[in-house]
Amino acid sequence: MLSPRELERYARQVMLFGEEGQERLKASTIFIAGAGGLGSPVSIYLAVAGVGTLILADNDIVDRTNLNRQILHFERDIGKRKTASAGEKLQALNPDIEVKVIDATIDAGSIDRLIGNADGIVDAVDNFPTRYLLNEKAVAGNIPFFHGAIRGLCGQVTTIVPGKTACLRCIFPDPPPGEVSPVVGTTPGLIAMVQATEVLKYVVGSGELLTNRLFLWDGMRACVDEIALEKDPSCNVCGEIGNREMMK
Amino acid sequence: MRVTLRFFARFGELLGDSREIDAGDGTSVADLVREAVGTNSEGHQAIFDEAGSFHRYVILLQNRKRIRPEDAETMLVADGDEIAVFPPVAGG
Repeated sequence: MLSPRELERYARQVMLFGEEGQERLKASTIFIAGAGGLGSPVSIYLAVAGVGTLILADNDIVDRTNLNRQILHFERDIGKRKTASAGEKLQALNPDIEVKVIDATIDAGSIDRLIGNADGIVDAVDNFPTRYLLNEKAVAGNIPFFHGAIRGLCGQVTTIVPGKTACLRCIFPDPPPGEVSPVVGTTPGLIAMVQATEVLKYVVGSGELLTNRLFLWDGMRACVDEIALEKDPSCNVCGEIGNREMMK
Repeated sequence: MRVTLRFFARFGELLGDSREIDAGDGTSVADLVREAVGTNSEGHQAIFDEAGSFHRYVILLQNRKRIRPEDAETMLVADGDEIAVFPPVAGG
């Protein structure tokens, strides 16, 4: 049940989603992996949209080099845990939601505990090994997975619905090399907005999702492109073999 | 035959975004890309491994349909084709 304050706060989006949609947002739990370049704008917009429970995991400390893009963190936060810095800002942005921050590394040992019963997983990490782990958890737990990644002025997004769409391994069987990539804050800002919009549509149940499509943004040329994706039947995560492995 | 080759993102920065190529009969997708990369060593390093094969993570599209890097060696281009070469990005 939405309070009078919530009805007022969300008045302009209730025009889009209805009170029922807003109730769905309030009842949802979204796990955001990372409180950095993508995690900052994703969590800010999901918080102000009224996602009832946000779980934000990160194991890092705020550094001055983060501040050109990680907009949850301010100069005064340098040296603080990113989770503490993020939790404080998100709760101030919207006191009507629950913000759970977890200062932890996302790895095979922690992932089940971190994600719990979340209704969706947002990929806001900066490396493919962790993305693959999140993807495996999403497929095994039948949890939608909102992938995003960036470099420089370029980025990519897709929405993975286990059982229905290509999973991250189908799309990227092999990881691109890890690097300290160049980036300007507008790129994760834009890519995170596509991810957050997907989360909202998924939870509310409206619109057409970015499923089996890879959205590509090239900011240098101001071009948007799209690649059609399909499930790989031999995928070792979501293909028949992968499914058999998971049944064991 | 005329074939359009497009390099996306980082590949485009290194090699130029798009070009029209006059390809001979029997040109494979891999041949086409290899020839376009030519002697651009940074571009070559970004797309191909030391053995001259595509890096496994490189995404190749023929007329917007995904093809596997290993199949690009034998899949031939046809007149009017659009070949796109795209690097996934990893940052967050």
